[in-house]
Amino acid sequence: MNEAMTDGNSSNAGIDLSQFYQVFFEEAGENLDRMEQQLLEIDIESANDEELNLIFRCAHSVKGGAATFGFNDVAELTHQMETLLDKLRRHEIAPSTPMVDVLLQAGDILRSMLARHQGSEGDVADPTELLASIRALSNGKPMQKLSTPAVKPPSTAPTTQLVQTQAPVEPVAPAIDEVSSEAFTDALPDGSRILELRVGPLVDPGQADNLVDLFKEIVNLGTIEMLDGGQHQNGMRFFKVTTTSPDNELIDLFSFHVSREQVQLIQLNREDTVTAPSIKTDGELQQPYGFFSDSPGAPSEASLNPTAALIGQETAIAGKNKSSAKGEKGGSNAAALESSTLRVSVEKVDQLINLVGELVITQAMLAQNSKHIDPGLFQQMVAGLADLERNTRDLQESVMSIRMIPMATVFNRFPRMLRDLAAKLQKKVEFVTKGESTELDKGLVEKITDPLTHLVRNSCDHGIESPEERVAKGKSEFGTITLAASHQGGSILIEVRDDGRGLSREKLLKKARERGIDAPDSMPDGDVWSLIFAPGFSTADVVTDISGRGVGMDVVKKNITALGGSVEIDSAEGYGMRVSVRLPLTLAIMDGMSVAVGEEVYILPLSSVVESFQVQQDLIKTIGNEGRVVEVREEYMPVLELERVFNVPRFNFENVSGIMVVVEAEGGRVALLVDELLGQQQVVVKNLEANYRKVNDVSGATIMGDGRVALILDIGSLVRRSRH
Amino acid sequence: MEASNQTAVDRQEPSVRVPHSGGEFLTFRLGKEEYGIDILKVQEIRSYEPPTRIANSPPFIKGVVNLRGVIVPIVDMRLQLNCDTAEYNSFTVVIVLNVQGRIVGTVVDSVSDVIEMQADDIRPAPEMNSAIDSTFITGIGKIGERMLILMDIENLLSSADMGLIDVVH
Repeated sequence: MNEAMTDGNSSNAGIDLSQFYQVFFEEAGENLDRMEQQLLEIDIESANDEELNLIFRCAHSVKGGAATFGFNDVAELTHQMETLLDKLRRHEIAPSTPMVDVLLQAGDILRSMLARHQGSEGDVADPTELLASIRALSNGKPMQKLSTPAVKPPSTAPTTQLVQTQAPVEPVAPAIDEVSSEAFTDALPDGSRILELRVGPLVDPGQADNLVDLFKEIVNLGTIEMLDGGQHQNGMRFFKVTTTSPDNELIDLFSFHVSREQVQLIQLNREDTVTAPSIKTDGELQQPYGFFSDSPGAPSEASLNPTAALIGQETAIAGKNKSSAKGEKGGSNAAALESSTLRVSVEKVDQLINLVGELVITQAMLAQNSKHIDPGLFQQMVAGLADLERNTRDLQESVMSIRMIPMATVFNRFPRMLRDLAAKLQKKVEFVTKGESTELDKGLVEKITDPLTHLVRNSCDHGIESPEERVAKGKSEFGTITLAASHQGGSILIEVRDDGRGLSREKLLKKARERGIDAPDSMPDGDVWSLIFAPGFSTADVVTDISGRGVGMDVVKKNITALGGSVEIDSAEGYGMRVSVRLPLTLAIMDGMSVAVGEEVYILPLSSVVESFQVQQDLIKTIGNEGRVVEVREEYMPVLELERVFNVPRFNFENVSGIMVVVEAEGGRVALLVDELLGQQQVVVKNLEANYRKVNDVSGATIMGDGRVALILDIGSLVRRSRH
Repeated sequence: MEASNQTAVDRQEPSVRVPHSGGEFLTFRLGKEEYGIDILKVQEIRSYEPPTRIANSPPFIKGVVNLRGVIVPIVDMRLQLNCDTAEYNSFTVVIVLNVQGRIVGTVVDSVSDVIEMQADDIRPAPEMNSAIDSTFITGIGKIGERMLILMDIENLLSSADMGLIDVVH
């Protein structure tokens, strides 16, 4: 599956999205669980808005992700669910039990769709019927008669051997050898399958005759005929079954009469009514070629160039028995997906990081104390300490890397999505990313992805105008969407900018009043832009499956606030808008420059350091006898003595501050006067506010190699200070 | 903030204060006085190590230290309670407390022991003016000749005067 996906993507968009699939599957699973839980809890008589909104958001999030990755079946189904849910939360229709049933069923189907995209076996029911019911319900019509939920999670009964599939069989490529094609299953045109049913060993073989009655009693179940003429062989009975029902459903039915362990279903070839060789698959089920035909990226390439795909697959399974190549592939893939990631609570990782930090300090102390021992006498001890040092360093690196991932992992999701989106909307969009290497806590990355997706979609859908419109306005035909990440002070700043039409103040105010929000004309711009964060607020005229339901910004705000961050909007009508997402640095690695002032050590973020030089006291001039300035490359900039800013006690008056470090932030520069430059190092930013409070001019703290705490300066605040 | 609301109520109606229920107390010395705090608030006891000074903070906040990767502020109770001397020697210890989910270290002269006290042994604290707001004294414990000042360390440390926690408006 992976080969197919990678092939597809690399040849069509140049980005490998598959690295994000796992995250999406996990998130979607969580969302579906949450939705189901809410659906089950909801009180039909008096469903409150918050509950309905929550369900809606769950569906919406799944849809967003599915559309990004090209899981069209999932996106389509969630879109229909969304339409229904949207009407519900707008109180256009009243909730009813059938609706809950339908939505729960839809959830089940979504799960099985996701499981299949993930590479696991199990069949997926055709959602057409369900889609029709959802549509009917959202149009306020009574629901069509629904069959029983056709989909269940892949059967897990270990003793039941299932060899089955419902997926349509595509012509088998000649490269597939005979044994595997024999194992393939045929479906009759109406979707029904022929199965061999083996029951037994039974104490009373006559029990099995009840199964025949079962088929008489239940309409549409299919037909059954005895293969053994009513005679048992060592208590075993054989039947031939033609049915449309999935195996697990059949087994559920049969279990009324015989125990599950005694039932075996074996797929038969259509022409071949002779008992097919019993294939023991040890849980790895046979999949027909083209099983993943609707996986993202796969369809066109895979079908256009089956040989290429096959070569890829064959190399991947070299050494494995070809007869079950396809099945094994599916099975091993699913297993690999399951074990490739492990979700661990952030707390545990934090604890691990702290413990390792402690270990590093202990190790440093040991190294310090053992410096003077005689290596000749304590050879083993010295060797041991050296090992300890190396292991500690490796351990620290690995532990740190657990949490930190570059923003690129988020940004890389977007080009493909935007490309599809732009094509759909017939817009021309250029995508620019900045600061991809900015490292961000994994926890934050996971949570910021959805909001960013919403923002980028919104920019493309609502912000960027059509090429004709842009040309008419004298802009370039191509709209530009920029995603930029940077460390700023004690936070990470992620900006989504577009040069589209921007927000319209009048339109927002009008819409707000329609919705009964008090919005006077004198409202400040910032407040007006913030209106779009209200639940259900949308200025889009048409609701598309991309955006326009007004749920996006609501979710964005909620998610970011939950992370302790903030969102700001800046907009100029006709010129574009900028959404700035500011997230706290709970744990981020930063390149720092350590400087000494008196006896104390401070850290400057290296990204804000412009240059440093030695300065003679007489080069520092004053303005108005107070403000001190220094000339650097024909530019006068204010001088800040860190000694004064932080009231550093001074014991050694010979060593006066003689080093000037020019730093830059928020478009301003100041020269900081320090005693000494100590060096550059990567520092882990720690939050001071966790146990203390915000300290002026300090963005955080870090732990130095010797275990002591050093404060990290907030350059932005120092620059502001110099202005006052 | 919850804690300050609590103290505000206490200030208005000191008479309704619930009698002390007793329990286990960690006792420590500040100058000549002996204090007791609820043992359940104590996370650990460490020797004093010079903290990293924080500019422009009140004198009783000595700075921050690294406690296994966590940045923890250090408060010197002796400076807070106007003790005559506040020396830092090998006996000086830091009691690391966990109050309201925050970790704070407090410097004291020495830690004595852990004492279990019954409610009967605890007398109400007199209303009087001292360096420590009497609302933070929950009672006076009597053990033979020793007088143990039982402190509500949680509310003391989270009070606005300490400035340990940003006041949320």
